[in-house]
Amino acid sequence: MTTSVERVGAALRGEPSDRIPVFCNLLDQGARELGLPLEEYYSSGAHVAEAQLRMRDKYGHDNVWSLFYVGKEAELLGCQKILFAEDGPPNVEDWVIRSHEDIRALEVPADVASHPAFREVRECLRILRREVGGRVPICAYVTASMALPALLMSMEKWMELLFLGPPAVRDELLAKCHQLFVREVAAYRAAGADVLLYSNPFGSLDTVEKGFFRERSLPWIEKDIQAVGTEGVVYYCGLSRVVPVLADVLERTGLGAYYLGPFDDVARAAEIVAGRALVCGVINDIQLIDCSPEDVRSEVRRIVEAGRACSRFLFGTGLMPYAIPEPNIRTMMEAAFEFGAHEPRRSP
Amino acid sequence: MDLQHLISSFNEAVFDTDRERALRLVREAVDAGIPPEAVIFEAVIPALEHRTPPAGGAVELSLAQHFMTSQIAADITEELVPQFRRPPEIIGRVVIGNCRGDLHTLGKRIVMGCLRAHMIECHDLGVNVPPERFVDEAVAHDARVIGISAMMVHTARGPHGCLKVREILSERRLEERIKIVVGGAAFRFDPHLYLAVHADAWAADAVSAVPVITRLLEETHP
Repeated sequence: MTTSVERVGAALRGEPSDRIPVFCNLLDQGARELGLPLEEYYSSGAHVAEAQLRMRDKYGHDNVWSLFYVGKEAELLGCQKILFAEDGPPNVEDWVIRSHEDIRALEVPADVASHPAFREVRECLRILRREVGGRVPICAYVTASMALPALLMSMEKWMELLFLGPPAVRDELLAKCHQLFVREVAAYRAAGADVLLYSNPFGSLDTVEKGFFRERSLPWIEKDIQAVGTEGVVYYCGLSRVVPVLADVLERTGLGAYYLGPFDDVARAAEIVAGRALVCGVINDIQLIDCSPEDVRSEVRRIVEAGRACSRFLFGTGLMPYAIPEPNIRTMMEAAFEFGAHEPRRSP
Repeated sequence: MDLQHLISSFNEAVFDTDRERALRLVREAVDAGIPPEAVIFEAVIPALEHRTPPAGGAVELSLAQHFMTSQIAADITEELVPQFRRPPEIIGRVVIGNCRGDLHTLGKRIVMGCLRAHMIECHDLGVNVPPERFVDEAVAHDARVIGISAMMVHTARGPHGCLKVREILSERRLEERIKIVVGGAAFRFDPHLYLAVHADAWAADAVSAVPVITRLLEETHP
């Protein structure tokens, strides 16, 4: 029987396997799985690992996550308060940077792996590696240098500094965020993460215009990737569109996998990549909350069929909202398995 | 510099999101004797309107371009309005905030910059705003539109956001007088979501929000 690691490996090499790999990014649903409030759930790496394993058994997707919530990275740099909800992702409530002086004072931990804010993540990875290591890809989420400041000072204040502020202060912050990025990647790899989702909304033309992207975003992307290498790194723009920058990023970084946004054109991505990298076609999972099972199947089928133009393809979700009904998750998964079978068992 | 030159040069500066050039052009125009009122109403506001996507068309401006466009408009409005011969006529009042549980301020700031340039008075209620406060502040400021920003799905759809604001407006019989507009990432990924949360309208971005809110202001009855 083909394992998820073998399936993803085959997709990365452009070789056939039983079906296309399916990444289903279930995070907050883990709390529901264990019957815990989100804040209690996220306080323990053992909880997160157990829920990831249970949900993977339940739905049969090809990945598990070590990501708790995005604000964990801000905790590494001193964030003291996270706002927990009952039914959605936690958010940073305490901004680490409130003034330019705070940027000068910002200290990047020398060893992320031993930092208290990483302890439960490390425990989660230890359990995942013990239980499914080598059989199921273990994912980690790492924010790019240019995007991390938004978690430290808010997107609004980061935009202000990035576009209107003193260049020296901006560059000092970017340099520190790059330093954290490199150390975080090392910690995740050492702890057993196989797939590193490199998250960077500033790597999409939905966030910045083309001139800025080429002159400012892309050099920082190159710097990040050169520092950590391409192994296991997946380009991701936080569900913004990737296709308009795909050719540039592929040429300049050599990254081997691109996680598209739901509004990207998969067929166009296939043309640009021309077999040189894995393309992940992504469903607009926010619409899974209300749509009918027939609509879920039809949308999965559309994406998977567009992906046939890619010799290396994976079907994926965004960061699945908590409100998606469980039957729609099952329907999506079953449709992805059915339509993504390499010898398809088509229903009428 | 004459007005036509200002209009074309200013449009280019906004298109390039070059704030310094835009501010310089405006100051030169005022120094050359162009009334501040003409600068705002014939150059600044039309430049913003040129950035409105066609109905049903794709939004092609990046988030950063929206941010800079709004920032330019807000800076110029703040600088020139005090120089008007008479205070400008306000076309309406809006209270705006991030709903309960939502801390993402960028979209709200961009919208406020565009609205203020169009002489729509905005009262910023901040983040994590309880639903009752939206209504209380709207009544206190005689605002005819409540703007609710929600970046995340659970804050957009949740019971303490737009749904509750609608319920309170209904209970207090204020629905004819006060309309609700919503915006934020959750609504961009599901264009029908505004109906599910009982809003009167939504806008995909700040520039589009201006005509939407202007229409709502016209529809309300004191």
